[in-house]
Amino acid sequence: MLKKNPLYAIFLVLSLVAAACSGSSSEVAEGTSESDTDGTTEGSETNEQVDFDGTIKVGAALSETGKFSVEGADSRRGYDTWAQWVNTNGGIEVGDKVYDVEIIYYDDESDADTAANLTTKLIDQDKVDFLLGPYSSGLTVGASAIAEKNNVLMIEGNGTANSMFERGFKNLFLVATIASDYTKSGIEELAAGGAKTAVIAYEDTAFPTAVADGAQEHLEANGIEVLAVEKYPKDIQDVSAIMTKFRGLEPDIFVGGGHYNDAVLFVNSAKELGWDPDGMLITVGPSNPKLAEELGEDLNGVTGPTQWEATMAYEGDYFGSAAQYAEYFQEQHGQPPVYQAASATASGLALQIAIEEAGALDTDSVRTALLEMDAQTFYGPINFDERGVNTAKPMGTVQVIDGEIPVVAPEAAKIRDLEYPIAN
Amino acid sequence: MDQFLQALINGVALGGMYAILVLGFSVIWGVMGVINFAHGEFVMLGAYMAWLANNQLGVDPFLSAPFIFVLMMGIGYLLQLLLVNRVIDRPHLVSLLVMFGVSIIMANGLKLIFSADFRRADSSLRGAYDLTDNITLPVTKTAVFFIALAVLGGLSLFLQSTRLGKSIRAAAQNREAAQIVGININKVYAITFALCIGITGLAGALISPILSIAPFQGPPLTLRAFAVTAMAGLGSVKGALGGAIVLGLIEATVAVYVSGIGTNLAIIASFVILVVALVVRPQGLFGGLRPVDATAS
Repeated sequence: MLKKNPLYAIFLVLSLVAAACSGSSSEVAEGTSESDTDGTTEGSETNEQVDFDGTIKVGAALSETGKFSVEGADSRRGYDTWAQWVNTNGGIEVGDKVYDVEIIYYDDESDADTAANLTTKLIDQDKVDFLLGPYSSGLTVGASAIAEKNNVLMIEGNGTANSMFERGFKNLFLVATIASDYTKSGIEELAAGGAKTAVIAYEDTAFPTAVADGAQEHLEANGIEVLAVEKYPKDIQDVSAIMTKFRGLEPDIFVGGGHYNDAVLFVNSAKELGWDPDGMLITVGPSNPKLAEELGEDLNGVTGPTQWEATMAYEGDYFGSAAQYAEYFQEQHGQPPVYQAASATASGLALQIAIEEAGALDTDSVRTALLEMDAQTFYGPINFDERGVNTAKPMGTVQVIDGEIPVVAPEAAKIRDLEYPIAN
Repeated sequence: MDQFLQALINGVALGGMYAILVLGFSVIWGVMGVINFAHGEFVMLGAYMAWLANNQLGVDPFLSAPFIFVLMMGIGYLLQLLLVNRVIDRPHLVSLLVMFGVSIIMANGLKLIFSADFRRADSSLRGAYDLTDNITLPVTKTAVFFIALAVLGGLSLFLQSTRLGKSIRAAAQNREAAQIVGININKVYAITFALCIGITGLAGALISPILSIAPFQGPPLTLRAFAVTAMAGLGSVKGALGGAIVLGLIEATVAVYVSGIGTNLAIIASFVILVVALVVRPQGLFGGLRPVDATAS
């Protein structure tokens, strides 16, 4: 039959593809990180000692496939780490009862519409109590609107565009530093180093636009003249035109980026043009060790923002210090946490602290506890303003120096001085 | 003036890169009438092979490229035998859907094998060559440009001068007539597909030090190939080069002279040319093997 009618074969292939790519597949992680399946006995022994009174169901649409699959996987590891920690460290106290946590995941395929649809599904069908955010502002925008409409709290750490918090939502909370402050500490440090002029290039989507707008404000506030601002579309494959123009302007520093891939393009293009600005501040990429691995010495001296690093001097009652969290994460996943993972864990942690403080599971009580929160954690201080933005934690800045990625700003978190100008 | 010359150099070099990136797509469409929706994924497959050779064995992508060409030809031949050949007689939409399915299978397969991390191969041909104080030659892209010229020249010579090449052109122009005069159409298609996938894989290896390699980076490359091919002419070798250089020059110059939105404007400009070309000159700016017409076969 297949031979006679190739359409059957096509139908079969397409069906398999559809099945393989379907966003309807869900996975439940009841404290189940990858290491659970590897059989971490220590965790399960502790787990057996606690008799839980119930389970708090938390839902998250995350990118397992598509362009955010790397960051989606990092976020998931972060959420899993929190659930694992909760379930093996006595659960969450709600009044006189103790609950464990179950996270229901769906693959949003890095697509905003899918993320929004899956959020509806998590609320309507899975009846989750709370939501954790997807990865990226683009996906969080729609998903958080669904959460708001259904009066379900969404705590997130990886969608930081300012526009999301200008909508007057009551149920969206961000533990991470908001996008407009991404470059603040880096620019202050570069200004202190003597930078006088700058150029900016950014992808014209929500998050990079918010970062670039913020960067422009911080540059001007620090007395650095902005010589040119260029925006470019996503999925760009060549930035040589932008960089040719910038080279002609001879700025002290370049500020730019949108996502990971853009960092590769900017660094490559600068080298191809023989252009060595005194400083390069790239929004996404430099804090990720994989970029340093791929670009090698070309990345030397490039600075970038980081929400969190294991070397930062933060500490809290849960997970202990930043370094101890990193150690725990390493045990769970066999790799060190990147900041996206730490932000995800901190989102779960903020929810946990609020539930325990509220002593209840209803949205209004937990929301009130979130708004009143003033906590010290491994991730940094958490104190939400009326928009739901954590304004207590400053953004860190790292610089790639000989393959190492030390924090160079702000003053309270840095472990070495910024190298400026970059020695080429 | 220096800035203009630099933009011209960037544009031509970029055009060379685009030319070799779109060539395989263009010839498959022109000769077989198949829109290879998985084109970008084949580029990525070639790029991953180059990265693997570079990362594991320390081989420069420019050295592994010929081997990748041969390997990808084999993959192309098998794919043609198992899939494409079976749907080639069906309406064009069917082969397009099959290749769409292949693209999703490949992207997810690449993710399973290599993870979704971005990769980049390292080459000794890198950095800038100073022509003057203010004008540089992008070394990697210039090397790719000259290899692209050699491949395009070789393919053009093959299509014009060899018996097999003439058979391929004949099959593109009139399939039935080609069969009547004794051309084995299946063999012609198999060789065309294998050759084009080989060239596409080669292109992937060559761009592996320039662009990021990731499983889901394929679709923008397919879109670009589609635009250049439709604009310049289906299956036209000189069209692939001409169209790609036009596109490269637009992208490299507009953003230099238009502030703020230049890069976006360049993309709009290239698609305006595409739309105008489709309306007023359906055989493409440089004349293709066939017009962009779904009913033509």
